[in-house]
Amino acid sequence: MVEHDGLMRVFWPTDIRKSDRTGVVVGWRNSTLDVFVVTILEDVDAHNVEFHLRSGTFFRSGPHSPSRIYDLCGHSSMHVLGISNAASHSAVDPSWVCAKTSTNSRYPRISCAKASSIQLILYDRPHPKGMQYISLNPIALALGDKGSLPEDVASSEDDSEETKQEKAIKENRRKLAEKLKQHSIVRRVASARDKALPKIVNQVNWSWELEQALQQNVGRLGPRPKRGLSVSERVVESATTMRNYVLVQLWTLFSVYLFPIVQKAFILVLLFHRMVAEILLIVLEFRAKPGYAALKDISATAQQIEIRLQQFCYWPMQYVTLRQRKANWASVTTSHPDYIRFYNSLWLVANDVIIGMAVGSYIIEHKDWVADQIRDLLRTYTVEALQRGISWLMGWPAGLKLNGELAAFLGDLFLWVIDYWSSCIETLSPMLPHIIWFIGFSSFAGASMPIAMFSDLLSVLTMHIYSFYLASARIYHWQLTILRSLFHLFRGKKHNVLRNRIDSCDYDLDQLLVGTILFTLLFFLLPTVMVFYLNFAIARMIIISLKAGFDTLLSCLNHFPLFALMLRLKDPSRLPGGIHFELRDTHESKIPDTNDKLFNEPPTSIIYLKNIPLPFHDMFHQYFQMAHRIRKHYLSPRVLLCLVTGQFVPPINRKNLYSLQYSMLPARRATVWEMWRAVNMEIDIPQKKPFHLPNIPALQNGGKRPTGFGRTRSRD
Amino acid sequence: MLTTAPHLRIRRPSPTTAEFTVTTLPPQTLPLRLLWLLLLFLRISLSVTMLLILYARWVQERSRSCFGAQAAVPPTTSPSPPPLLSLDRILFALDAFQGTPAGAILAKVAATVSLPVLLPVAVAVFYALSLRVHKQESLLVLRGLGVQTCESPATYLAGAATRFIPTEKIQDILVNEAFRGFEVRYYLVVVVEGEEDVVVVFPGLLPKRKIVETVWRGVRECLYEGRGEDRGLASDK
Repeated sequence: MVEHDGLMRVFWPTDIRKSDRTGVVVGWRNSTLDVFVVTILEDVDAHNVEFHLRSGTFFRSGPHSPSRIYDLCGHSSMHVLGISNAASHSAVDPSWVCAKTSTNSRYPRISCAKASSIQLILYDRPHPKGMQYISLNPIALALGDKGSLPEDVASSEDDSEETKQEKAIKENRRKLAEKLKQHSIVRRVASARDKALPKIVNQVNWSWELEQALQQNVGRLGPRPKRGLSVSERVVESATTMRNYVLVQLWTLFSVYLFPIVQKAFILVLLFHRMVAEILLIVLEFRAKPGYAALKDISATAQQIEIRLQQFCYWPMQYVTLRQRKANWASVTTSHPDYIRFYNSLWLVANDVIIGMAVGSYIIEHKDWVADQIRDLLRTYTVEALQRGISWLMGWPAGLKLNGELAAFLGDLFLWVIDYWSSCIETLSPMLPHIIWFIGFSSFAGASMPIAMFSDLLSVLTMHIYSFYLASARIYHWQLTILRSLFHLFRGKKHNVLRNRIDSCDYDLDQLLVGTILFTLLFFLLPTVMVFYLNFAIARMIIISLKAGFDTLLSCLNHFPLFALMLRLKDPSRLPGGIHFELRDTHESKIPDTNDKLFNEPPTSIIYLKNIPLPFHDMFHQYFQMAHRIRKHYLSPRVLLCLVTGQFVPPINRKNLYSLQYSMLPARRATVWEMWRAVNMEIDIPQKKPFHLPNIPALQNGGKRPTGFGRTRSRD
Repeated sequence: MLTTAPHLRIRRPSPTTAEFTVTTLPPQTLPLRLLWLLLLFLRISLSVTMLLILYARWVQERSRSCFGAQAAVPPTTSPSPPPLLSLDRILFALDAFQGTPAGAILAKVAATVSLPVLLPVAVAVFYALSLRVHKQESLLVLRGLGVQTCESPATYLAGAATRFIPTEKIQDILVNEAFRGFEVRYYLVVVVEGEEDVVVVFPGLLPKRKIVETVWRGVRECLYEGRGEDRGLASDK
């Protein structure tokens, strides 16, 4: 009788009704010895149940089409898998499961004529109405439809050494993996049982809803009530009919006349806003030439506005997809990540606005004080500190004997520019309270706006430092290059540009003499230029790190996985991160086995299937990735070399940096026309849906389950 | 004494399901159990002491900051203790403890150490106290489903890290050797299809070759031996 290897696999829900009565085990039969139990229907005939399952009686009154169930669970109908607590095993099909449940044992005891060993896998039913589900792969919180974007960025700037090295390493690993494949001696064919896992995951997700449907409709198997209605029942019926009629009339009045007008008006307003947003987005993304910087690349404020507009453009589309979720069974889990994403972005915007109101009202109330503070800060740090530093460098700083004349020249040059700049700032300072008021006012659109504006304000008001840095870096770099070529001359060599190598060269005596004198001169002037360069480079680095701080704040306000974090605390099974199994001890269930010899139970292992909640590390994956990218860019030896030799440090590609910002938005936004179509399609759905009547208590004998055991309808 | 060399334990309730656990936990004897209890007691008492020191420091900081604003609020010593199982009761007990000589010593300790030193030290102490003594790594093999590796985490605070590999994805399971320092280690590897990295089983403990071989045989037997599909293939040939 034993088939194949005789291993039977039974998936068994933990919350199944535990009673001593006989019943029929219903579920999915994935292969002969691989069954998935959904529920036990009590006090019914097995063959009768089988017939009704085939004909789909159970789902006839379901809210949606049952074909979706069969589609996802991989079968054309549910199956009778066996019987529970049967008195005799005589009339049992050999592939049927015989289960023994009782109220006092935790695990059921299973036997099957064809099985020589059993894996009993217990699972908790995820609650689809609470949007719980399990999945083999971790839930994706970021939108995954643009895998090409990072590649684009990488290919546009992969002239660097690190990316090349990385590619080489990846290639090596791929080759190793290929080689490893050749080492496998036997290619094992996956059995039907091995392949069933994705199907089983779906079946677990459907299990709750199916059980509800089956248990509700088990009464349909009984005979119909034959007698007519009594007088009181007739009165109740006519009363409910009257009530329903009035309700339906009111509802049609509302849905036919009032609701469409309101909805149309709303959609028109929405579309108008969408068009305005489109125009603004076009302005923000305008590039004079391809490759030139657009407005959003230069200014943090423009970037922030762009993100909000993009979100605004995406919300209607997201909402429409979420609405379509309602028109299907709750167990379809494909739209759950969308749900989390949508409400995460809504919540973040709401939070942002709430914080922004607090910040904004504070700034507006104290605008003079804030302006004074900013003016003081600007004066102390960007003017006076700089002046002090330069005058310190013009003396002999830290005992270094610099070249006095050159230091005085350079210092005076910078001091004049600073003087001019500070006078400019002074003329601007009466305007400052108004600017601050404007910033405060803008923060009613969210706390991220003033942060972005302050970031921009910082770059505008420290422009002089940036230009100093550029100028001194240029001088320093020139001097270094000249020194290098003169050093070659000093050694009697020269750099061959054509072959990119150092060749020896016969110089004349006067060439050598002049070159050496120049080399000495420049070499002794180098420290003076270097200290000035270092001074401005450090100032520049401080400003960059300040802006990085602002950017971090912005990314936290815009993309913090707040909703996911809350869900993780509130209900971890809504954020599945995979499954894991746990082997349970079986001593407990073995002991009562001795008292009845009839029930020969094969060796059974009890396994518990559990959901792994998404680890916190995965939730912040995007942040880690961004931090890694920034670290790789700015803390690489190449950048350090650039800094030391006075070359321009290439800024990190903005697309690269803001991959986080765009991970929640689609790569290509839907056009106005697409949105119009989507929103209009959305209107049609509620009209098709029937009006749900309020719950009316069922009549006493209306389709209830028969009380007796054998009163099932006989088939012939 | 609390740990032994890694040894193997096998649980196999049915021939097609097995769990191989490699652990450094020695067999439970009475002295060992007593030692465990002692260790537990030590951990708890040390952490309570650390918490009390932190509380003492907090009280000091609070009174110092209050001092400028208003005269130190006289501690409201209620004559009768507040009802049991309430937050007030805990605070009451803590305040009462501050009065005892032991409390005074702790307060002195807390006062001498500066805050930037105290806080990292406290975090380090708590981390050290939460470390596990023994390590445990396991491999669960389920025919028809797959294999699952499980590692016990370093501290008691984190959960076990598991990784489930479905049978479909398992390309091969093999024993490999590698140099590690000046020795050669044998380790069990699961080659996963479509992944660049192999999954090392028992990565932290890396048990001896004998154990690894036993596990390897067990896994192959559990997963593949006497499979209907393979038998069918053999008969076809």
